[in-house]
Amino acid sequence: MRRWVARRGVVLALSLIIGVSFAAIGSAQAQQPKKGGTLVYASVSGPGTLDPYMASSAVELEVIHNLFEGLVTLDAKNATRPMLAAKAAASEDFKTYTFELRKGVKFHNGQEMTSADVKASFERYRRISPAAKNYEAIDHFETPDPYSFVIVLKEPNVVLFDIIKSPIYPLMILPASQKDKPARDIEVIGTGPYKSGEWVKDSHLVIVRFDDYVADTSAPGRDGYGGRKTVYLDAVRYRFMPEATTRIAALQNGEAQLISSVPSELSARVTQRKDLAIREVFPVLGSYIIVNSQKGLTSNVLIRQAIAAAINVDDIIEGAGGLNKRNPWMSFPGTPYYLGETAPTPWYDIKDPAKAKELLKQAGYKNEKIIIETNSNYQWMRSTMLIVAEQLKAAGMTVDVQITDWTTNASHMQQGTGDWNLSTTAFGPDHILGPQQWRPMIYTFPHIVGNETLDKAYSEFFTAPTLDARRASWLKIQQEVLGGAYLVKIADTGRLSGYSKKLQGQNDYAGVLQLWDLWLE
Amino acid sequence: MAVKFLQAVPVVVIISVLAFLLLSLLPGDPAVIIAGEQASPAAIEQVRKQLGLDRPFFEQLAIWLLNLAQGNFGSSLILHQSVLSAVVERLPVTLSLAALSISFTIPVGVLLGSVAAYYRRTWIDSLVMTTALLGVSIPAFWIAILGVILFSVQLGWVPSSGFVPISQGVRQWFASIALPALILSLFQIGFLSRMTRSAMLDVLGQDYIRTARAKGLSEWRTVGKHALRNALILIITATGILLSAAIGGSVIIEQVFALPGIGRMVVQAILARDYPLVQGTMLILGFTFVMINLTVDILYTLADPRVRHD
Repeated sequence: MRRWVARRGVVLALSLIIGVSFAAIGSAQAQQPKKGGTLVYASVSGPGTLDPYMASSAVELEVIHNLFEGLVTLDAKNATRPMLAAKAAASEDFKTYTFELRKGVKFHNGQEMTSADVKASFERYRRISPAAKNYEAIDHFETPDPYSFVIVLKEPNVVLFDIIKSPIYPLMILPASQKDKPARDIEVIGTGPYKSGEWVKDSHLVIVRFDDYVADTSAPGRDGYGGRKTVYLDAVRYRFMPEATTRIAALQNGEAQLISSVPSELSARVTQRKDLAIREVFPVLGSYIIVNSQKGLTSNVLIRQAIAAAINVDDIIEGAGGLNKRNPWMSFPGTPYYLGETAPTPWYDIKDPAKAKELLKQAGYKNEKIIIETNSNYQWMRSTMLIVAEQLKAAGMTVDVQITDWTTNASHMQQGTGDWNLSTTAFGPDHILGPQQWRPMIYTFPHIVGNETLDKAYSEFFTAPTLDARRASWLKIQQEVLGGAYLVKIADTGRLSGYSKKLQGQNDYAGVLQLWDLWLE
Repeated sequence: MAVKFLQAVPVVVIISVLAFLLLSLLPGDPAVIIAGEQASPAAIEQVRKQLGLDRPFFEQLAIWLLNLAQGNFGSSLILHQSVLSAVVERLPVTLSLAALSISFTIPVGVLLGSVAAYYRRTWIDSLVMTTALLGVSIPAFWIAILGVILFSVQLGWVPSSGFVPISQGVRQWFASIALPALILSLFQIGFLSRMTRSAMLDVLGQDYIRTARAKGLSEWRTVGKHALRNALILIITATGILLSAAIGGSVIIEQVFALPGIGRMVVQAILARDYPLVQGTMLILGFTFVMINLTVDILYTLADPRVRHD
């Protein structure tokens, strides 16, 4: 059996042709794309780096995904589809992955992309990227001809495509000339539909249309991060505005046509104008209470479950503000690893203080202090944990809330340092990409050590040959993580962006900002 | 003067070392911020190694001081450029803001303070001092947001944010910086007018003012020349303080108006625990403040020849 990713693309392409054709009949007259113009996009802050192998923050990725492309990517259904590869296939034993490259694809410097560039990119990624560990199983690369690239693994890996398509620390293809460049020190040369322009740190960054861009013609239109991308805009100017009020003012007076992160309490300022609108981008993140399983009281599973039993998700959603929807799972609906409507464990949102008290009694709880750590930088985190504190108090727990800054809070969660039992954060692409992407987070944040059930479920996952078998393993993993209350799921969250109705062509895909197929009326 | 200049050197070094020590006392790890919220421990460790953060604290301090002695301020962890170039790039923004706000502040603040002193205990005095109190009391952040809504959105007089270098046109530069500078100067005007009023009240009660009036000098010459000149020492001192405060106060204004200045950079650097950038900027700003004080000292001698003899 050979698993041709391209085949899925063809099926999807046909369905898209049908769908798009019907859609086009109704809207062709009203929305003819117009070429030209500069879109001004006001975002919260600017990127630290445009080196894709080092990029994990949204502000970096929303530039990078418009400049660079990878071999495979996420389609509109978050499945794998080829991008710079024409075809991608895994061998039956999942030890050899073969990529047939699209011909004639140009870098921004005019050179044609070949397998030598792909090989050099993989080698650089393995040398410098924080996510290089995902590629430890690679034995060697082969480039039999300029348009073929082969990855040979030391051991089987059934999810290598899922790893390569990750939008975070994306494995974009750079020219071979960048192979030996240090981290964050590349020339910004990709194959994407835009190329880089002026960049003034803390002020603005400009990307301009790459007129020699070679679109993927295997799809009739855009498809998630891939498909046939058409650029109508001459340029996009990212302006970095930390204050939401200033971003909204820029939209209102026409200085910007698109703005990021509109606080829900300020969205009326946008919607009260007929020429402006709000777009809900959902889902983007999943929010969780992180329970430190290596810290005093919360090393006891009964205490952790008591905490989970006391949680009232609806109150948190209402109090924390923003765009939130209930979802007990660790995958977004509609993604390959989403397992259905019912909850994976009995603990999601049971809001049962009596049950919590019963579990506390079983655990021998004697009013010891449970320390909640949160931060002053993110209002939703602080609000969430203040509400959680009240819910735990109502269930008979003694709670101490400590507020620090996000840098400290994040360090404590990731390194297990500091003096805390509970905290909160949100995770993003993991909900789309599934268990392999989740693994470091699951073990790191609650500091899970020596959980054989979880270890076994993950071993099963990585050797499961079919998606159904992997989904079964994912159920066991979630039952252990959420059932053992290492993580307590709150909700899926989205964000609001504001835009001028002059900006046309946006779609509902909730990925990182995509600036192709947009135009200005 | 040379002695005063030399005295500044250890002050600046002490400031920067203190900044290094204070930053290192803060919890939090720059590698976590740079690697990203979702990075694995291995990824964080790799970033830490790449940035040299895995070295012992005193080794990091020694390396920085050694580089400093060679004129190397180090490289920013988050900006991936040298600290000096990062500061030099942003200096025109912060200096524009500080200079323009001071140029609004001095004439208005001195005039209002003098008028209030001259019309002491009248409704004019009350009006000026109440307005000054509001200027000092209203949070800059709040008034800045109101300013954006009024002058940018409602009236459309100025852009909501952003900075245009003076090299791209004086008019555009002024439009981009006028509102932030005005907002920044509100506090300063309040402060300077109160200081001026106090100094002028003191001077206006002196015998030589009575003598000037007795010999028939006009009120304009009496107040404008004799009184104001003698109140200048206090006004110069206040202006020196205000210039330093303007650079410090630019942090909030640059944030609201999205100006790519030093204040905004320092806030980001502190939040990300970018030690080299914070230390280098502290050093440069410390040097700037020392130079401002030195300039104030020189101006004293021009305003009051007696200072030179002392």
